[in-house]
Amino acid sequence: MKIELLYPEVCNLYGDLMNVEYLARSADAEVVRTGLKETPRFASEPVDLVYMGSTTERGQELARDALAPYLEALKKRADGGGVTLFTGNALEILGHHITDDDGTDIPMLGWFPLRAERHWLGRYNAMYLGKLEDMTVVAFKSQFGHSYPVGGELPAPLFETTRGAGLNPDLPGEGVRVGNLMATYLIGPLLVLNPPFAKYVLRLCGVRDPKLIFEREAVEAYEARVRDFTDPKRNFVY
Amino acid sequence: MDKKNREKPRGLRAIRFLAALWCAKLTVPLLKITRHNGTNFPGEIAMKICPEFLRYLDKPARVLAVTGTNGKTTVTNLLCDTLTAAGHRVLSNRAGSNMYPGVATALLTGVNIFNRCSCDTAVLEIDERSSRLIFPHLTPEIMAITNLFRDSIMRNAHPQFIADFLTRYIPRGTKLVLNADDLISSAVAPENERVYFGIERMSTDVTECVNRLNDMRICPKCAGRLEYEYLRYHHIGRVRCADCGFESPAYDYAGADASLETMTVTVRDRGGEGRYGLISDSIFNIYNLVTAVAMLREYGMDHAEIQKYISQVKLVGTRHTDEEVNGVHVINQMAKGLNALACSRAFDYIASQPGEKEILLLMNCLSDERHWSENVCWLYDADFEFLADPSIHVIVTGPRGKDYFLRLKLAGVKDEQMDYVRDEFEAADKLYLRPGSSVFLLYGADDSLDLAFRVREKVLKLAKEAKR
Repeated sequence: MKIELLYPEVCNLYGDLMNVEYLARSADAEVVRTGLKETPRFASEPVDLVYMGSTTERGQELARDALAPYLEALKKRADGGGVTLFTGNALEILGHHITDDDGTDIPMLGWFPLRAERHWLGRYNAMYLGKLEDMTVVAFKSQFGHSYPVGGELPAPLFETTRGAGLNPDLPGEGVRVGNLMATYLIGPLLVLNPPFAKYVLRLCGVRDPKLIFEREAVEAYEARVRDFTDPKRNFVY
Repeated sequence: MDKKNREKPRGLRAIRFLAALWCAKLTVPLLKITRHNGTNFPGEIAMKICPEFLRYLDKPARVLAVTGTNGKTTVTNLLCDTLTAAGHRVLSNRAGSNMYPGVATALLTGVNIFNRCSCDTAVLEIDERSSRLIFPHLTPEIMAITNLFRDSIMRNAHPQFIADFLTRYIPRGTKLVLNADDLISSAVAPENERVYFGIERMSTDVTECVNRLNDMRICPKCAGRLEYEYLRYHHIGRVRCADCGFESPAYDYAGADASLETMTVTVRDRGGEGRYGLISDSIFNIYNLVTAVAMLREYGMDHAEIQKYISQVKLVGTRHTDEEVNGVHVINQMAKGLNALACSRAFDYIASQPGEKEILLLMNCLSDERHWSENVCWLYDADFEFLADPSIHVIVTGPRGKDYFLRLKLAGVKDEQMDYVRDEFEAADKLYLRPGSSVFLLYGADDSLDLAFRVREKVLKLAKEAKR
């Protein structure tokens, strides 16, 4: 199995990179780190999983510029069932634009008809509880704003929200999914925190009967978190 | 504003300000009588009555400020104690918070009921994000930014966000004392007058980062690859861009010949140099010392004066205490939970200590757990890998103990090197407490402080009762 990690020199916030490390160690996968000034491998050879994690606001623009020449290849990859996962504000790079606090519109790649709002003094910090097929997903959000439709048809959501905000507080769907391209606002070690979802991603990548490293410990921590997040007495927005 | 950072209120505003001042001053003895700590309360009262209280409050003629992710409390304490020992009348918020109410409380204690300040200098620790509320009403003469690292994900997002935030709010008239070995903080407020400090090459330096966190991997000018001439940890070191030639600023205040054997460092500048005793054996604290010396030099003291008074300063007990019982060192060490960087530094420091080490991880964010569930993403930014050493025994505990346990497993810590016990007090029973070993109790900044000191009492008792 081969995993391509896009732009780790800037897309590396909030522990997101552990997602790749966790899968690689679980499936004994090769990890290819592609820098901002390099050509992505997925554009020229088979890659089982392409991953991009959370980044700074400057990092979003750098990643956008680096990825722009390969957007069509990424779309083709999604159409062909190639597995791709974008977490945190990497999702916004695939959207239409970001509206900054001062009203400036910063163009993004324009794949999805989404406009992200960025509020420097209104960081949204929350827990998240959702569903994907029969899996319960527990994770965290920490972001400067949400995404809103800007016309056109929104792709299907990645997760159905049980508690917390979707793409924005009024949308029940969280993230976007096109074929096996999955993009979500959820941050951090999402796959470590969600062993069922980690195994789901490995299966999509062609791993039969996947086993996770330290699976028992991961499941114990996951089950404890599911109990916490389903406890109605707990607040959800920090 | 006048030279003393004060604007005179007029008319109704003057009445409102005086009412705020008197009410707030009245609360100070009341809090003492009722034995409440309340280091923010007087400032909070004053702000409620007069939202622009800080603007009108008389201030010392000289105001020094310290901000940054790590080290600001230590640097503030060093400055405060040194200046006090040198005969200055110093005001500081060291006993209170570093946010607006804590700063207001500190400053109002220095004025009389007629709003006349009797102190000549203020040394203020300023929370980075509170700069937005404080600086419109207060212009520090000199301000140090110790460093900018990742901190709380929820509050501070990432260090570039904080750097931009500070650039937006630091007054143009403030002279900055900046860390040249930190390309993030050294680029803050580029229009301001500035001097740089740093530490010259040390024997322990490397050129490749071994830490999970390194927030300066590409050139801030051209996004090219940065090469480290020397690297201490994370992004702290001296760099050059392989593509455009951009490099770290030159030092105006250079820490040199740092020696952990003699526990001294030289601080050299254009006006001379001095040899200073280290406050502890961590590189972090060498930076803190060099920062404080640079600030005091900018304040106008000469090296001989600084040497004389700074040597009397001790670290605050709530951050690091060490007691030996029956041959076991019991050490309380603040590691700031939710802060991957602070924990990584603590883990690195512990791993570098000689002999057998035991660690009780007490950094669960208890206040978050009471209302929500702690955001544990930061665990995967922290270098738990330093603890994967046969000389270290780790005990994880508390509401997020299972998350810590998994993180340690992923870091390579073997089963025989660690234990998980849910209850913090029962966890202490798992300690081996062998003579010659060190026990580190790692705890967060505020909410686990009380717990850590109560667990410490149990550990000390167990060490005393241990059969030899």
